[in-house]
Amino acid sequence: MVNPILLIVVPLGLAFALPIVNLISKKIIKYIPVLAFLFNLILSLLLIPKVLEQTIIVKIGGFHPPFGINLFVGPVGILFSTLIALAGFLVSIYALSYIKEGPKEKYHILYLLLLTGATGVVLTGDMFNLFVFFEILCISSYALVAYLGNKAGIESSIKYLIQGSVGSSLLLLGIGLLYGQLGTLNMADIANQINSISSPSIFVPMIFIITGLGIEAAIFPLNAWLPDAHSSAPSSISAILSGIAIEVGLYAVIRVIFTIFNASSFLMFFVFLGVLTLLIGEMSAFSQKNIKRMLAYSSIGQIGLIMFAISLNTQLGISAGFFQMISHTLGKGLLFLSVGFLIYKTGSMKISSFEGIGKKMPITSLLFTIGAFSIVGLPPFAGFASKFMIIKAALTTGQLLFTVLIGVILLGTVIEGAYFFKVIQSIYFKGTTDIIKRDEAPLIALISMSIFVLLIIFIGVYPDFIARILNSAASEFINRIDYIRSVLG
Amino acid sequence: MEFLSNYIYYIGAFGLIFIGLFIILVKHNLIKVIIGIGILDTGVNLFLIAVGYISKGTAPIFSKAGLDANNMVDPVPQALVLTSIVIGVAILALALSLAIRLYKHYGTLDLRKIKEQRW
Amino acid sequence: MKKIISLILLFIICLGIVFCLQDIPFGAAKTKVGHYYIDNGREETGATNIVTSVVLNYRGFDTLGEVTILFLAAIGLGAVLATLKKKGKRQIEPASLILKTGCRFLFPLILLFGAYIFIHGHLTPGGGFQGGAIIASAFLLVYLGCRERKINEVANKITESIAGLVFIVMGLIGLTVGGHYFLSNFMPKGEINTLFSSGIIPIIYIAIGFKVGSELTGIIDNLMEKS
Repeated sequence: MVNPILLIVVPLGLAFALPIVNLISKKIIKYIPVLAFLFNLILSLLLIPKVLEQTIIVKIGGFHPPFGINLFVGPVGILFSTLIALAGFLVSIYALSYIKEGPKEKYHILYLLLLTGATGVVLTGDMFNLFVFFEILCISSYALVAYLGNKAGIESSIKYLIQGSVGSSLLLLGIGLLYGQLGTLNMADIANQINSISSPSIFVPMIFIITGLGIEAAIFPLNAWLPDAHSSAPSSISAILSGIAIEVGLYAVIRVIFTIFNASSFLMFFVFLGVLTLLIGEMSAFSQKNIKRMLAYSSIGQIGLIMFAISLNTQLGISAGFFQMISHTLGKGLLFLSVGFLIYKTGSMKISSFEGIGKKMPITSLLFTIGAFSIVGLPPFAGFASKFMIIKAALTTGQLLFTVLIGVILLGTVIEGAYFFKVIQSIYFKGTTDIIKRDEAPLIALISMSIFVLLIIFIGVYPDFIARILNSAASEFINRIDYIRSVLG
Repeated sequence: MEFLSNYIYYIGAFGLIFIGLFIILVKHNLIKVIIGIGILDTGVNLFLIAVGYISKGTAPIFSKAGLDANNMVDPVPQALVLTSIVIGVAILALALSLAIRLYKHYGTLDLRKIKEQRW
Repeated sequence: MKKIISLILLFIICLGIVFCLQDIPFGAAKTKVGHYYIDNGREETGATNIVTSVVLNYRGFDTLGEVTILFLAAIGLGAVLATLKKKGKRQIEPASLILKTGCRFLFPLILLFGAYIFIHGHLTPGGGFQGGAIIASAFLLVYLGCRERKINEVANKITESIAGLVFIVMGLIGLTVGGHYFLSNFMPKGEINTLFSSGIIPIIYIAIGFKVGSELTGIIDNLMEKS
């Protein structure tokens, strides 16, 4: 009785039930997301060994694909759903003490649905179903960005909404063009028939779909919304948007490129786009004075790095890309969560206002520092292991071009190190040296952030622990024939 | 003339899509941009319906005996459009509520004047 | 300048689409999937309206997502407008007697029509979304006509939640009791083209009707109150 469909249905049902629970008691609603994602985490962990043995195809309504919708629970899907459940669980624990104002029950419903949408996107095996879950993800993030209701939040939300809805229209248009040519919406069936039509006619829907998904994934020319939206949302939501939402968008892009269109010639373009995204993100982050905008630009840089790694199109490169996604989710999540309380106590987002806070809030500052070290890529944290793996993957291809690009990426890492150390310097080594009364973040938030730290160190020290699932995930992307065969039978 | 009668739905659908995109790209008033989003959605929906049409087809409903199944239009795009309309409604509702809040904050809906957030 | 760049961009997109559309002739024969639904839809789901059988059975999971999106819009709109400060009470000018009587007369009829549409969703054109929208329009009429009346927000919320839960519970019953598939049509299909036929489809459509009606009413209520 462990059916992967419960990963989507249980949080959805709890979200539907939440308004009634709120009428009965206003105190217990904030524990419901914790429960939901604890359930998802346990279920995902239980499913991992089964999925590694054999892919699970869930037929919804009992109809065979391509006639019904199916979920494709492969290594990639289960890897992402575990990651989503883990981040969702920890952030919802953090939110117990962080969310104190505003319409709280609506926050929890939107939060549940945001992560349900993300889980749906990574598990579904149907193109239109992907669109529907993608919209759930997008619409709940529009609403959550505007949750605080201040000037910045509303403005960034409306910018995000305009760009996102154009993107989703383009995505739907692309799906419509594909349906018109192939007459099916099932991803495996599309992938099976994609070679039967001429390449210019595939190219147009592919561009539409990649553009539509790329807006959420924040690929370089399409990421104008990201710094505003990620910096204006409540910090717990910024952690989810940076750690989960853009990576789910990137997952959708690479799933479309690898599995559906089999467009490996397109990946060369993506390598350059990735490096460009990395450089632009890091350079913009360097000149920021607002800490959350700095972190948001740093996310753009990390997305560029992941794109570069996956576009290498080798087993090692793709698994390195997934590893970087995991370490980015943990690291950036930790950074946003700790910054949330730093901002809460100082009342300002300016980096200059953090001077001397290392004495006032030593634990939170330490957690921030660990997150920053992991993102920059210092040993023994997870960021080091993943960046090292990316460099190794690029060098083993043996091509001169990739070796040159590795140099550019290292330059980006140096810039990244520079701006993070600037912040750390202002936290510890500036401002008054007097002993100030300590004013720490609440215990429950510290616990949740410490679990992030433990995971970062654990994965950094034992990268082999997740090597198997990363390898199977990479082979799922490379062997698209297996994907088609396991769905269509 | 035959070309026009064959492709009139496609032309209409893509005409709406381009009008919508053009409004979103060029106009500065937020309400006009939201209207543009609505027109864009409508265009996409019309395109999806046009994809499923077959010449001289009927609705795919077996309401009485003797209806020819070969003459019915493709039901899948209709189901997709139902979903897509609902998504369009959801986005429009959210956009309008944000417009209300934005107007309360700034006293204007001109997107050129709303520049709190900078690069 | 901006206009010219936009037009050039649109022109490029246009060229690409024209290229692509040559492969999608207008009015051509049905696709494989569509053909399957029309040929087997009646036996497999028991609904005479094939669109309904696609929406609720073959692609029922999409519809669950769709219902979620509408729910999301209502909640998101509430969250965005919740922190808005009211400017004091709005001046309401009472409507004339003719308007009031007309609204009171039409209100139950529109409700009845909406209910008819969603109960007969598997037989005739229409269904839960359309019926729900009609029901919401009845409440909108009351808001515009009998201006001092308000809907009961608690009842609205409860209807919304219960209707959503019915959908999910029907799916879960299908998962556990009948057939081991989420949203499988486990109930007897009945005689085709009668009201009591096609298994879980009418039940889910009734739930959707209530849910869409209460959600759209909630959206109207929020926008009326807060603007």
